[in-house]
Amino acid sequence: MSDPITDKETKVKMSDHHQSELLKIVGGVAKNPLGLIGLIIVGVFVFCALFAVWIVPHDPVGMNIKDRLQGPSTTYFLGTDQLGRDTFSRLIMGSQVALKVALPAVFGAMFIGLTLGMIAGYGPRWLDNFLSLVFDTIRSFPTVMFALAVVALVGPSLQTIIFVVMATSIPIYGRVARTQTLALRNSEFILAERSMGASLFRILGIHMMPNIIGVLSVLAAMDIPTVIALEAGLSFLGLGVKPPTPSWGSLLKDGYALIRQTPWLIVAGGLPIIIATLGFTFLGETLRDVVDPRLRKTR
Amino acid sequence: MTLLSVSNLKTSYGKTNVLTGVSFHVDEGETYALVGESGSGKTTLIRAIAGLAPAQEGSILFQGHELRGLSDRKMRPFRKDISLMFQDPVGSLSPRLTVGGLITEPYRIQGMNNRDLNSEAIRLLEMVGLPADMAGRYPFQLSGGQARRVGVARALALEPKLLLADEPTAGLDVSVQGELLNLLNDLRDQLGLSMLIITHNLNIVRHVSDRMGIMYLGQLVEEGTTEDVFHHSKHPYTRALLSASPKPDPHAKMDRIILHGDPPSLLKRPSGCEFRSRCPFAKDICKETPEWNETHGHKVRCFIPLS
Amino acid sequence: MTAPLLQIDGVTIDYNTKKGNLHALRDISFDVNKGEIVGIVGESGCGKSTLISTILQLLPQNAEWKKGAINFKGKNLITSSEKEMRDMRGKDISVIFQDPMQSLNPVITIGRQMVDIQHRSTSPYAEKWQKAIEMLSMVGIADAETRLKQHPFEFSGGMLQRIAIAMALMSMPDLLIADEPTTALDATLEVEIIKRLKDLHKEMGCSILFISHHLGVIAELCQRVVVMYAGSVVEFGTVDEIFFNPKHPYTRRLIECDPGHIKERAKRLPTIPGEIPDLTEALEGCIFQERCSESIAKCKTATPPLVSLGQNHQAACWLNHNQEPE
Repeated sequence: MSDPITDKETKVKMSDHHQSELLKIVGGVAKNPLGLIGLIIVGVFVFCALFAVWIVPHDPVGMNIKDRLQGPSTTYFLGTDQLGRDTFSRLIMGSQVALKVALPAVFGAMFIGLTLGMIAGYGPRWLDNFLSLVFDTIRSFPTVMFALAVVALVGPSLQTIIFVVMATSIPIYGRVARTQTLALRNSEFILAERSMGASLFRILGIHMMPNIIGVLSVLAAMDIPTVIALEAGLSFLGLGVKPPTPSWGSLLKDGYALIRQTPWLIVAGGLPIIIATLGFTFLGETLRDVVDPRLRKTR
Repeated sequence: MTLLSVSNLKTSYGKTNVLTGVSFHVDEGETYALVGESGSGKTTLIRAIAGLAPAQEGSILFQGHELRGLSDRKMRPFRKDISLMFQDPVGSLSPRLTVGGLITEPYRIQGMNNRDLNSEAIRLLEMVGLPADMAGRYPFQLSGGQARRVGVARALALEPKLLLADEPTAGLDVSVQGELLNLLNDLRDQLGLSMLIITHNLNIVRHVSDRMGIMYLGQLVEEGTTEDVFHHSKHPYTRALLSASPKPDPHAKMDRIILHGDPPSLLKRPSGCEFRSRCPFAKDICKETPEWNETHGHKVRCFIPLS
Repeated sequence: MTAPLLQIDGVTIDYNTKKGNLHALRDISFDVNKGEIVGIVGESGCGKSTLISTILQLLPQNAEWKKGAINFKGKNLITSSEKEMRDMRGKDISVIFQDPMQSLNPVITIGRQMVDIQHRSTSPYAEKWQKAIEMLSMVGIADAETRLKQHPFEFSGGMLQRIAIAMALMSMPDLLIADEPTTALDATLEVEIIKRLKDLHKEMGCSILFISHHLGVIAELCQRVVVMYAGSVVEFGTVDEIFFNPKHPYTRRLIECDPGHIKERAKRLPTIPGEIPDLTEALEGCIFQERCSESIAKCKTATPPLVSLGQNHQAACWLNHNQEPE
């Protein structure tokens, strides 16, 4: 029997419940032990990156020749490098560089890929064929070769790396978005919206997009460690960020040369990459289990 | 007053002809049922009328306006008057919107944002017998019956003149089918609605429709008032359909008309009367194409109609 | 009297969900004799899927067995090992589903699938192929030899369902469980499948447990009927008793509501108002009481047990007790 409608004004929420849904997802991830570890690691990483300037114990680029090549101590937690710079501070600052590259690159690629993918999936056949061809062509370049070529042309910098990563990642997100759009295009609820006269923007923006972004977010979470490693690799080759900006990759580069004098530079460069990769991977995998209802094992 | 008039409508998908010349009309205030099985083209027909599927030939007149071939933009104002209810009750609701958001979609799409959408949502929920707090729920939290009603509320939000219902009782338990049909009947009386229902369930047709048409392989084979078709069916296919429903009576007499073979594929249509490959009464003359045979509003397309 | 083939005795299953324990099946008891067709009538939420999963011992992780036994040919399926169950599934107990594609692999030819399913037999390939042809012909698929080389997408829904039945019966199982096999089919196809099942049943003598919410099909096919509501058995008897002398208000209302039952055009169709109760809450009294038009005071507080009302008829309703002699 339906409940009687009382005199009390029943406030009806019209808007999509994006906020509460996000909380539910975060909660779901936190319940899983691996997911919780992932959340903590990523949290620490983001915190360091955001507040690096305020939490570094010493100036990461400040040279102090008389203190060079020291081992770990209470002043310098991980010792110093060949120019007397505090390794620990450079490690923390490196997280900012990693994030400055990974976030815009990955999220930029995700949103551009999402838009292009939805257009390819929903639009006319010829547009789909054209965009798919573009995606496949870009994907056929080996990423690192492409990166090296661009760096050779334009010179190394933060922006160069971001551009390279975005360019090579857009087709991946584009393909996934296109497949999801194609699958949803003929579903009854999209047909229902069309039957009510919904415009293209409305259908793509309000009805398609929220159903695709979950899958893309999982890809993005798994992609971030790849980008971090790419940036570190390029910086290790001297083709990434320009010194004296500290990057985990450049720490590895210096540490490689100075390995007999002090091993701590390598630790400071390599360990955060490993931990960040683990953290984002755990987060991504748990996110995927939470977001995809078909993988649920219970009723 | 004729509200909807479909004449000689033909649709094809690539080389396959789906609808091969359908003609019928729906008057104001009446309920017309299109009955057919899978492959009869009824879903394509209803989608063509709603402007969701292209039709290559023929005409669809709604209050005198030609709808066939209209662009999406030109079709938009008609979407206030012609509303569609889909077969899958939960699947036809956008999964990320709340019930409140879903039933007020029509207002937002038609640009009627100045209305108090909150109170409209509550009014619509009340109209279909759902409690106001349902507005905050998501489609996956609804039962089949509840989702069905949300679909009705959404379809009737803008007070359309014609409601197209695709299998309105599909997926509903027997105990709630009656509830939905009663609701549709009540709303029809209240709002002066005309309805076009497509279904393969003959049992419910009897209780909701004034007139009905039987479709086979993309064409109408019999048409008339519901009472006429039920009690004096003339086409062998209609008879077979009527006799096919198992009755909830263990001792019911089974004088069934069993059809031979399987429905022919749309790519290999039989020549002449397309039903003759399965008709137990087929004769030589059926190799020709039968014309309409009409008496007192009861039409049948058959050389040897049954009495 | 020989023992029944399948004996379900007091089976009670809970699901551990976020909202609490969902009492999906409560004290389910009925049996299926050898060579018999038993129908289960129930609407959404009655627990029929859980029941099938319990018989096959394929319950999801969060299902909890509380009590009861399922005896099949004398063996308790609930305490059987996974290996023992695997030996039985597809051999002694076969299943067909509402969607035939749940039994078929879309990328492998029908012939290969029908041969693969005979994996337990040691006969040579040629014999297995021959058997596949025979089974296809038995279910009325013309031109079986050519058809075996085709893939599922080349068949219509009705034909796929017949293939699924052929595959299920290849091993000559003792029990065939049919879970709403005709619900998705048009009426003319439905009657054809029913006719085939009847013919195959006569030939093979297997027992069939036929689940459906379509009363007409149950009336036509089954010998005995179990009526389930929200996780309980409310009535159980021969098909005549259930349809002509129903002893539970739910059964009565269900028959009334079936549109096939209503002969003349009705202004208002009968319906059962309300919805099934929330099975995660503590359940007191009769499960149907909230929606029952004939309930008495006792129905709210005490759960009526399944009582025998004759040789082949059981129902769980307090109203029947009032009629019994003291």
